[in-house]
Amino acid sequence: MSEKIYALLLRLYPSRFRAEYGEEALQLFRDRARGERGFFLTLRLWLDLLADLAISVPSEYFHAHPSFIVSPVRQHLDGTPSFFLLENESPRLGALLFGSVLSLLAIATVSVLNGHGASYRPLGALVAQSHPNASRSSAVGRLAPQRAADSEQRILASRQPTTAANALIAGDAEPGSFRSSFLLMLRRFGPVKPQALQPRPQSVARAVVESAKLDRAERDRVIDGAIANLKQHYIHPDAAKKMADALLAHEKSGDDDAATDGEAFAALLTRQMRDVSPDMHLVVVYSQAPLPQGLTGPTPEDLARYREAMEHENCTFEKVKILPRNIGYLKLNSFPDPSVCRSTARTAMASLNHVDAIIFDLRDNRGGEPDMVALMAAYLFDHPEYWYNPRENTTQLSWTLSPIPGNRLADKPVYVLTSARTFSGAEQFCYDLKMLKRATLVGETTGGAAHSGVFHRIDDHFGMGIPETRPINPFSKTDWAETGVDPDVKVKAADALETALKLAQTKLSKN
Amino acid sequence: MPKQKLHPLPSAAFQILLSLAGEDLHGYGIMRQVADQTDGRIRLGPGTLYSSIQTLLEEKFIEEVDQREDPKLNHERRRYYRLTSAGRKLARSEAERLADLLRVARTKKILRGDYV
Repeated sequence: MSEKIYALLLRLYPSRFRAEYGEEALQLFRDRARGERGFFLTLRLWLDLLADLAISVPSEYFHAHPSFIVSPVRQHLDGTPSFFLLENESPRLGALLFGSVLSLLAIATVSVLNGHGASYRPLGALVAQSHPNASRSSAVGRLAPQRAADSEQRILASRQPTTAANALIAGDAEPGSFRSSFLLMLRRFGPVKPQALQPRPQSVARAVVESAKLDRAERDRVIDGAIANLKQHYIHPDAAKKMADALLAHEKSGDDDAATDGEAFAALLTRQMRDVSPDMHLVVVYSQAPLPQGLTGPTPEDLARYREAMEHENCTFEKVKILPRNIGYLKLNSFPDPSVCRSTARTAMASLNHVDAIIFDLRDNRGGEPDMVALMAAYLFDHPEYWYNPRENTTQLSWTLSPIPGNRLADKPVYVLTSARTFSGAEQFCYDLKMLKRATLVGETTGGAAHSGVFHRIDDHFGMGIPETRPINPFSKTDWAETGVDPDVKVKAADALETALKLAQTKLSKN
Repeated sequence: MPKQKLHPLPSAAFQILLSLAGEDLHGYGIMRQVADQTDGRIRLGPGTLYSSIQTLLEEKFIEEVDQREDPKLNHERRRYYRLTSAGRKLARSEAERLADLLRVARTKKILRGDYV
């Protein structure tokens, strides 16, 4: 067997050498193989032979054809490509077959290495890897967006099926609502921070009655709670004191008396605070159903349920395809937790690695994990780019992990489709890409949810979001909190894809 | 061209010349002799060995004597090679060149020992 392998390897030598010494070389191999038995001696023999091949084969060709040393300048002058012939005789059929097999092996090896090195997989692999229902992705896709976007809510809801949080979420069908955002935030931010003001023991029944109409005592309690939380948690102590003074002044002057409705009172307090310190992340919220006490972070069961939901919905990567003119299209309906969905994200991006332009459809994207937002953005840059995240202090974590090995999207035109339902983390994606002038936003102004505060419970019905970090926004004083992100090209959400496609095609045809 | 190939004399070619200084040898015999005289440091592979033999033959530094059986090796017929007088001269001049180098190395105290 090994003799046959060596006989095959001998074919690498020029035919003249083979004719003269092929049989001798083979005999030498036989002699050595006979004398050098055992694992280590055999291994040494083959290492010797391979080293010998590597040195002597090129040298044989080199010396057999001295003309290789001097390049045929004259032949190049007329601009016609010229080729050297290693052999004068025409190749045998066996040699051609051998060459074909070697080439295939080389291509296969490079593909495998490429796949491991840069997580590159062909488009077909994506379909194969995603859940078994992927083949009917369009059907799943129609159902997926709402389910996927709400899956985090369901986790919270399912864990505490009887709590007020559940009732609140269940009743909170309006996507743009602050309350659902804050409840989502509870999960992300873990336990609710220790409260400055412990709510006085109240029965739920009493609370519900009270919520119907606010009296002065309740208002005072909420204001006291808000002031205590501000002083304890707000990032700027001076501003916190000024706001506290303002809230007390308004209370004394009777400005709050008109607010007998919880929602209106919460909005009024928010306004009063922002009049002093224009911080869009500072907010008081009201919940008609009592807020749960002592929420903790997600349990292992929650995470398992989340994982299952994400697997079922292909991590909310609803559509990954290549449209005519080699324009990539990715419909992503949330930014799921990278610890669960990193490989799906990588696979999706790898399958679009060779497109000439890319469209991110975030029209049904309700946000998610900032880490996933940054991960997706990393594909769009060839160097680490400052990535503004209103939830984080400015650290090294605020940079994208660009460049991603093997990625080819860093210089391709990017379009992001938006709608009024584009929310939270999806807005971060839009805002940062717009500020970095890396994408053209097409569609509607986004929802306007920045959620950078930490939620603090004031009492059964009132809570507040207080920014506790000092993020640096290098782009502008405000971000998208409440105002949303304006698109570059304003069209109805339903027409956004068509418009973006036209823009991309026009741009590509100019290049 | 082959002259250029042997100038400077490659180590493998010099070793082959030395191995044939004592007796006529076939390819495998040369390989073993070279391994012996270098304490196993040089094990000539078939490609290097026959490539060098080819060049040395062309330049008439060695010659092919005849084909005969080696009683130690299954009585298979093998080509034997012999050092020519030109080959011996070449080996001597290479050895002298190395001896000169050795002298310089000793003068510079890089190598200890008697002058050659």
